[in-house]
Amino acid sequence: MSVAPYPNRVRRFMSKYSMPYLFIAVPVISTVVFLFIPMIVSFWWSLNDFSGIQAATFVGLKNYIQLFTADPIFIKTLVNTSLFVLMGMGIGPTLGLMTALLLNQKIRYQSAFRTAFYLPVMTSLVVVSTIWVMLYNRNGLLNSLLAGLGLGKLGWLSDPRVSLVSVAIASIWQGFGFETVVFLAAMQSIPRELYEAAMMDGADPVQRFWYVTLPSLRHVIVFIYIYGIIGSYQVFDQIYVMTSGGPVYSTSTIVHYLFSKFMDLRLGYASAIAYILFAILVIFSFIQWRFFTEKN
Amino acid sequence: MKVQRIAPKKIFARGFLYLVLVVSSLLMIVPFYWSVGTSLKLEKFVFASPPQWWPAPISIQSYVNILTRIPFLSYFSNSVFVAVVTTLGHVFFDTLAAYAFAKLKFPGRDKIFFLFLLVLMVPGQVNLIPVYRIMASLHWIDTYLALIVPNLTSVFGIFMMRQFLMSIPGELLDSGRIDGCNEFQVFHKIALPLAIPGIATLVILTFMDRWNDFLWPRIVINSEKLFTLPVGLAQLQMKNTSNEAQIMAGTVLTALPMIIVFLFMQRQFIEGMTAGALKE
Repeated sequence: MSVAPYPNRVRRFMSKYSMPYLFIAVPVISTVVFLFIPMIVSFWWSLNDFSGIQAATFVGLKNYIQLFTADPIFIKTLVNTSLFVLMGMGIGPTLGLMTALLLNQKIRYQSAFRTAFYLPVMTSLVVVSTIWVMLYNRNGLLNSLLAGLGLGKLGWLSDPRVSLVSVAIASIWQGFGFETVVFLAAMQSIPRELYEAAMMDGADPVQRFWYVTLPSLRHVIVFIYIYGIIGSYQVFDQIYVMTSGGPVYSTSTIVHYLFSKFMDLRLGYASAIAYILFAILVIFSFIQWRFFTEKN
Repeated sequence: MKVQRIAPKKIFARGFLYLVLVVSSLLMIVPFYWSVGTSLKLEKFVFASPPQWWPAPISIQSYVNILTRIPFLSYFSNSVFVAVVTTLGHVFFDTLAAYAFAKLKFPGRDKIFFLFLLVLMVPGQVNLIPVYRIMASLHWIDTYLALIVPNLTSVFGIFMMRQFLMSIPGELLDSGRIDGCNEFQVFHKIALPLAIPGIATLVILTFMDRWNDFLWPRIVINSEKLFTLPVGLAQLQMKNTSNEAQIMAGTVLTALPMIIVFLFMQRQFIEGMTAGALKE
């Protein structure tokens, strides 16, 4: 039993494993360069005063403390974003479930109706936003319809009391078709025998929904809410196009505020905002992880 | 008697069902209709009261203006180019890496994969500024490279393709190895053809994601001739707030390619988009 000389061992290792390492090389390098290192650098910057032009100066938790204690606009963006998520998640998945239930009946033109609900999902948020800016115009279609009902004009995007709701409406309109389609696909994969058994036990349609459909959709429902919450917390495109965060910060959200701080070259401050967002999302990712590992 | 009483009730219920479906579908379609309609109106009729449900006269002036004054066609070709190249990158690199993680044994495999899974949770905004700085130091700002290079592969894509490739039986791959194929040939000749349905999903998800991406191209691209469609449209909207017919012409042109592709490949799109949600 002689130990092979070192270069030989390296050569043998290389000839055995060079292929798999080659296969993963580009994703590994890309993930290290564009994800791992930036993640760490970003955290380091969040502890610094950094403009990107002058050298960074370490300030400890100053950025975080300032964000929470001395920056009312940031607190407003946290509240706005959370309200936006609440509105979206309060209405979107319910609309999706209701429309999926309607489509899951024996109806004609099912796929045409499904296409109608799904069309906005396929469309970029920038497109959807420019369309809704037009609908929300002071003299636009929605105010004309209000006038037709004998009601006054609403400053959909210009009145700070309603602007966030207006953005949320457009976003729900854009997104709930995804939930419709996911719920519909999940409903169609529920075994027919479950319904037949329930009918033999004399369950009416409401009971069948409550005791068969809903429990079967449990995992999909959790997925939809977690995925939806994580996505909604990152809202940016609609805000940028529809309101730029205004009027008077009434629609400013976390990512939009981060973007504006980035444009102001307050890179340390912006990085701290990114990490606060990260912390919020980690909580929801953790809930999801707990839920799905529990299942297995 | 009983049968006769149920029948009208049922017809009423069906009628109500269709009514709800038609009304809610109209709510989805009318904004699109209104944007096409507006794009074909003369500027002075855009906010006419009462609203003009049918443009009269129909005018294509806004489209002519858009296409002659703004490099809209280059926005389109930029979007196509960037989305196609990044999607090809994902198909190649993600599938190849997923194959190694799913079917090959090598030291550190599970540790590397676990680290990959951890980054899956990190929101893109955390990396935004450092990656921007990397692009700046390479002098890649305002070039295609900034749009393409950081987006050639994704952990999500690898994760999804790995799930898919795990189901390919190992004996099939072994038979290829016995025939003297090297590992890349086994991947290329045996695994890849079997992975086509998974790749179709990957293509759709990646293409949509890249095509609609806004924040990143908004940050790294400054010159108009390199804008992608969403950035170009947002720019048009900001500059032209008064000319709604032109903005809508731009909106229609931006939305149209994706809607056409979707209408032709609806089944694949819907299956692709729901796959992620249902397999979880």
